[in-house]
Amino acid sequence: MNVDAPSRLRATGITKSYGAVNALADVNFELKPGEVMALLGENGAGKSTIVKVISGLIIPDTGQITVDGEPVSLTSVRASQAAGIAVVQQEFSTVGTMSVAENLVLGQSGAPAWWSPKKLNDQAKSILARVGLEDLDPRRSVDTLSVAEMQLLEIARVLAKDAKIIIFDEPTAALSDAEIVRVLAAVKRLAAEGRSVIYVTHRLGEVFEIADRVTIFRNGRSEAPQNVKDLTVDRVVELMIGRELGHLYPERSEKFGAAVLEAKGLKVPGIKGEINLTVRRGEILGLTGQLGSGASEIMKAISGTADVLSGEVLLDGEAVDLRGRRRGIIMGIAYCSPDRKKDGIFAGISVRRNLSSPWLRRVSRVGFVSRAQENSEATRSASNFAIDLSRLNTLVGNLSGGNQQKVAVGKWLGIRPRVLLVEEPTRGVDIGARAEIYAQLRLLCDSGVGVIVASSDTNEILGLSDTVATYYRGTQTANKPVQEWTESDLVREVMHRED
Amino acid sequence: MTITEKISLRLQDQSGLRRRTDTIRTWALPILIVLVFVLASAFVPEFFKFETIRSILLLTSITGIVAVGMTAITLSGNLFSLGVTASAVFSGVIYIWVGQGTGNMFIAAAVAIVAAVVIGLIQGFIVGLGLNTVIVTLAAGSIIYGLTAILTKGEVVQAQGVSLEGFGTFQIFGIPLPIYIFVIFTAVAWFLTEHTLIGRNVHLLGSNKNTARSSGISPMGTTIWAFTAFSLSIGIAAVLQASQMHQIQADNLPGLTMDVVAAVLVGGTAVTGGDGSPIKSAIGALFIATITQVMVLMSIPEGQRYFVLGVVVVALVVVLHLLRKAGTR
Repeated sequence: MNVDAPSRLRATGITKSYGAVNALADVNFELKPGEVMALLGENGAGKSTIVKVISGLIIPDTGQITVDGEPVSLTSVRASQAAGIAVVQQEFSTVGTMSVAENLVLGQSGAPAWWSPKKLNDQAKSILARVGLEDLDPRRSVDTLSVAEMQLLEIARVLAKDAKIIIFDEPTAALSDAEIVRVLAAVKRLAAEGRSVIYVTHRLGEVFEIADRVTIFRNGRSEAPQNVKDLTVDRVVELMIGRELGHLYPERSEKFGAAVLEAKGLKVPGIKGEINLTVRRGEILGLTGQLGSGASEIMKAISGTADVLSGEVLLDGEAVDLRGRRRGIIMGIAYCSPDRKKDGIFAGISVRRNLSSPWLRRVSRVGFVSRAQENSEATRSASNFAIDLSRLNTLVGNLSGGNQQKVAVGKWLGIRPRVLLVEEPTRGVDIGARAEIYAQLRLLCDSGVGVIVASSDTNEILGLSDTVATYYRGTQTANKPVQEWTESDLVREVMHRED
Repeated sequence: MTITEKISLRLQDQSGLRRRTDTIRTWALPILIVLVFVLASAFVPEFFKFETIRSILLLTSITGIVAVGMTAITLSGNLFSLGVTASAVFSGVIYIWVGQGTGNMFIAAAVAIVAAVVIGLIQGFIVGLGLNTVIVTLAAGSIIYGLTAILTKGEVVQAQGVSLEGFGTFQIFGIPLPIYIFVIFTAVAWFLTEHTLIGRNVHLLGSNKNTARSSGISPMGTTIWAFTAFSLSIGIAAVLQASQMHQIQADNLPGLTMDVVAAVLVGGTAVTGGDGSPIKSAIGALFIATITQVMVLMSIPEGQRYFVLGVVVVALVVVLHLLRKAGTR
């Protein structure tokens, strides 16, 4: 990499806001020819938004982008491709039933309408060799490839387009260690050819292995790029989380009562070994890990959403039958999934009827809903969660993300929960609503409800929980009081174990 | 103006827009019906008469009852049943046969309605297992039609020597019974969807199946209830139809399924489920009957009537869809 080289890509003063939320606030970003630039930051820090801006998926409110010194207008994916920018997607865009070689030409501009099979395969072989797939038969159907091979093929497809700037969006999120090595080697080779790489990741280890420089995002703002060789893991973590916890999180109660929920020898698909967990009265238990770590599977199992292979769950000392959500709700187990749009809210239904949906049966007599009781309880839930009472008749889909999340959690108050399980309680939620959700979770916990929070946001876990359990690739790696964790310990525990 | 002021102003604007589109969606059809009535009264001879209005309402009643029942299926997110005609004709045949056998039209009506409900329950169960409603009901419709044709040997089934037309012809204050039944059925259906656990669950299931399941609502049970309500309406409509005609044949009522679907759509119930009301479908049925009757009075030939009706239905459904999108952006 030539340090004094002119910029390959330069983005200055980029802003993008959604309503009151600033996804990007005056972001500056720079990329030199032949360098690997890692983008780091917590969820919602802005790194995926800037990637979408550069790839033409999002048009920023303000700001300018130049490629090789020329101003470009990246108003569509096509415009971005024309400027020499290509994205290696996290989701695969290959066509499973077609051959490897056919997939390489697919969607390539300038490819002739027909190539002889020999020419096609020869072309494919030379591209495959550049990503370390020289042994792969280009005639094989993509269906038969491993996940890592598909990821490498995805990179090869980008190579076939001959891009100057290649964006990798968490390419190793779904790969095992051995497979990651192959992908990283391919990335290094691209940089050696003089291409510029933007590498988005959650894994700190990879950054130190392949990146030349790092740009760290925090709350929609970017730090000036730093040379990786001047940094340490601790310094990176500090830069990523360097915001004060302040009064965002409520006070802890310090004293715990009897166990509300105990999981004993729980075996769950996707989790290695048996899980033992206890939540006591007055305690918030935080589970944390990256995507696919297993924390989510445990929450689903306890809620009755997913299967339990063996082991038992005790509620106030009594074993409960965990098959199906309906039984769980009757037992008083509330569960908020991480994806509220998918299965947390009814977007086309009013706030009031969303709030009453899980406990409508309780306020019904011989099948007739008591409107008065429904209204008074829904109103109480809404005011507890600081939901604007004048909007009880508004469709939930028309609310902001924060208010939608308040509804998704608040609707469980009415089942009179004994245990509340919440996954990613504040994903896509603005800071004000976050504080209200945290306060309400703590209040519920103080009132005797067992609260378990699963989140990939380590900052949130540390600020909110009394006890923190960590997960890494399907294994519970630690379970200890929050006082025994420092923030950098925890980040390293969930991100950095490959070192 | 600060940024927060600007944002809150924009939000107010948007909620204002939503309210406006909601208002338009609710009132568009009633206003259109009034407009058609006014224009037809002014320009179509013979329109503004008690007999005409009565026959429009009578025409509405059978389609309307089934459309109100169908709303339960559509609201639950299960699209439409496309086996309306076959089930209705089958129930009508049962009504006449049992009436012939027992000589009692009340027993005949009860048996016919029970038969319709049983057929509906089976279909509801299969759809509840996760199969596509359109495929299940088309197949069921075909089976039921075939069964009816075999049992009746394709011949006209007629009541002889007994009087079974009471339900169709009985009048109170000069208005035939089917119109009262239609109005009462609609009112009861509205009350049930708004005020009962099942009605509300039907709404919730149609709005988001995944959230419904995670909230402890059984998609299977709720779907079966929706089909029960629907097949009840089929049974009632079949009895009224067979009473009016005093006879029935396997290939009668060819347009009923499509009329019912059109009534639900024009009424403004969302095909995707979770948004709508039986009252809307009843008004949709009234609209279609009105337009049809106006065209009949204007001596427009049948082919052209279908053409115009089709164009009007498509135009209305598109406008309603665009309004809904604008409102929930």
